[in-house]
Amino acid sequence: MIEKTQIIINKLGLHARAAAKLSHLANMFNANIYLIYNEDKVNAKSLLGILTLAASVGNEIILQASGDDEQEAITAISDLFNRKFDEES
Amino acid sequence: MIKSLIITHGNLGHELIQVAEKILEQKLAIKAIAFDWQGDGSDMIAQLEKFIADNKGHKIVIFTDMFGGSPSNIATRFINKNVEVLSGINLPGLLKFFCYEEKSKNFMETIKIVEQGAIEGINIISEYLGEKK
Repeated sequence: MIEKTQIIINKLGLHARAAAKLSHLANMFNANIYLIYNEDKVNAKSLLGILTLAASVGNEIILQASGDDEQEAITAISDLFNRKFDEES
Repeated sequence: MIKSLIITHGNLGHELIQVAEKILEQKLAIKAIAFDWQGDGSDMIAQLEKFIADNKGHKIVIFTDMFGGSPSNIATRFINKNVEVLSGINLPGLLKFFCYEEKSKNFMETIKIVEQGAIEGINIISEYLGEKK
């Protein structure tokens, strides 16, 4: 299992379209992938689960993955966060 | 694959689909039927009959906007082992359906999960966040 701390840098935070992109990406991997924010841990493959975090810009979350492609999953998801979900120029 | 349609008062169903498509960034395989305020429901019945006939052999879920309303009452007439109705559909429920449906093997299980997603999408936010703190 690996973990990575990730800061949310897109203005709108983990809103609906960002959560949809994130869950879509997470579903491409075999690994179990979770997002941890404060005391909440949600399945990164669930759009509605991600939305329950109500996480905003500047918040720090932990990406956690376990499985044969865990490293690739964390790298890809972290990249999506850092690209601001491709929604800001 | 479960076939789906949403029948509502006015254009509520069309709007819900449009928003879900925007969020998921894909065209969704769902049909919307708007209840004709001036009519007696016969047009909606005919469209439902056609949809069910066109999708014979498939499981079908009909989402409606409100239990007890005309669209829901009309849809209820069509319930059988292959057709189920889920009333009170909302955006979380619709998103749940399209995110979950591909992976699902069981018709009724899928509908129950969508129902749960729709219900969990309704929150008094201060209380929800208060519980989280």
